[in-house]
Amino acid sequence: MTTQTLLQMNTIFISIVIEALPFILMGVIISGIIQIFVSDEMIAKFIPKNTFLSILLASFLGSIIPACECGIVPITRRLILKGVPLPAAIAFMMTGPIINPIVLFSTFLAFGNSWSMVFYRGGLALIVSMIVGFVLKLAIKEPPLKNNHHKPVHYHSIKERISAMLEHSINEFFSVSKYLVIGSLLAAIVQTYVKTSTLVTIGNGPVSSHLVMMGLSYVLSLCSQADAFVAASFRSSFSTSSLLAFLVFGPMLDIKNTFMLLSTFKSKFVLLLCTIITITVLAVTLVF
Amino acid sequence: MLRILVLIGFTYLFMHLHASGNISKYINMKYSYISESAIYIFIFFTLICIFFYIKRDNPHDHALCGPDCGHNHDNEDNTWWKRSFTFFVLILPITTGLFLPTATLDSNIVAKKGLFFSAYKEGDAYSQHQFLQPDTTSYYGKNDYSELMDKGVKKLQKQKTITLGENNLLNDLETLYNYPGQFIDKQVTITGFAYKEKEMNQNQIFLLRFGIIHCIADSGVYGMLLDLPKDVQTKNDEWLQVSGNLETIYYQPFKKTIPVLKVTSWKKVAEPKDPYAYRSY
Repeated sequence: MTTQTLLQMNTIFISIVIEALPFILMGVIISGIIQIFVSDEMIAKFIPKNTFLSILLASFLGSIIPACECGIVPITRRLILKGVPLPAAIAFMMTGPIINPIVLFSTFLAFGNSWSMVFYRGGLALIVSMIVGFVLKLAIKEPPLKNNHHKPVHYHSIKERISAMLEHSINEFFSVSKYLVIGSLLAAIVQTYVKTSTLVTIGNGPVSSHLVMMGLSYVLSLCSQADAFVAASFRSSFSTSSLLAFLVFGPMLDIKNTFMLLSTFKSKFVLLLCTIITITVLAVTLVF
Repeated sequence: MLRILVLIGFTYLFMHLHASGNISKYINMKYSYISESAIYIFIFFTLICIFFYIKRDNPHDHALCGPDCGHNHDNEDNTWWKRSFTFFVLILPITTGLFLPTATLDSNIVAKKGLFFSAYKEGDAYSQHQFLQPDTTSYYGKNDYSELMDKGVKKLQKQKTITLGENNLLNDLETLYNYPGQFIDKQVTITGFAYKEKEMNQNQIFLLRFGIIHCIADSGVYGMLLDLPKDVQTKNDEWLQVSGNLETIYYQPFKKTIPVLKVTSWKKVAEPKDPYAYRSY
């Protein structure tokens, strides 16, 4: 019995790793390309000075780069190093996994081919990332990256560029994937050993049901392309706004993604970011 | 050197899972192309790493590498214990993935995850209609949602007996749960494992199957309440194939009306090769 449970935990663990690794690979390759082929000057020209506009632009930029919540962390780090303002980069990281064609389409399907959930999910994600972006702009004065010595380098030949790009990608893969493994392991342990069904029975009041759904999305660590189907299965026992809390919060923060953030940002900043996101999502979905 | 080993390990793990077909026990095969392309990237990364490794050992090349060469010198794993920690963490999924047997989710996980059927709410306008007037398909043809569901309903109503297998279980069950009134007395055959909760009646069990959307981390249980003949005894996790007629019941623990299958014939079956059901779009 107990060995069986252990094996089941391992199977869930491997499955999360297998599902996420291809996206991490994609993320580190895109990050390598940005590092070598996009110069700081190009970014400075491209990103508007106005915070509101830069967040808006970054949010929609996330929609064209196909990266889930794990693959997007190395890209975000690279963008910050390249001089993208922090609010815009974080907004990119938060909305990218939600406002993206594949995720919105799976939301459309999961809620019985209805557009309303798709619009609510995308709209609320945008509002949350706006609020979080402005709070960060006020609260954060120094760069929150762990490893932020970045010096612009110049390459002479295209061969040199590609070789440097690949080296960056591989280095990043190794620094990020160990956090993915630890995060996946924790998520698998929670799924096998913690009785999430009791969690669900607690959530009846307006605030508690939102908190329960947010907690659930945090511990389940689902991929944002699949979470809509899981949310839909709670349709009969939870209100629409608490389902939206699940759908907006999960892609922004979950166990495995917290560890990925720790690989990149200082832990004090990760704690602050988690707090701001949690409060904002709760407030926004409660008002909804 | 350790990096090359890790990359070879991941390449091998992914190739092994694909070659042995075990990958279907981890992810929905609809998305297998994603992990398949990962194999090529891993092979590529491994080759690149080997190339860098050989190049770095060449003293001539190293001398050329000045402080501004653009190579990444700020590797954060600078002490031996940090390097070995990274190595052991990364090697963990490779070893457990290759050497431990793949487990199948069973009733033990059901107890942890709980049962949730996406049944309609009591008092929902749609469902009320169906109970009063079983054949009112024309009532809800305008809304997007019901249009799709109508297709599902019509498809199932045409069939003499509805057989719920691994490919259609998730989608067809949704239809049955949304419109139970449309299918009263319909003959249904379903395969799954038995699951009984303490508060259930003597002759009632759930026949369940894990449904996978992407990977088994997002799986949930799907299935049906059965009304078994008096003489049938089942144990949890025993695989059964049952047929019977569909009815509805107000199920107190869920506080919902759900379909129930009055079982007429049943047999024990071996666990299928593919124990999971997959969501198809």
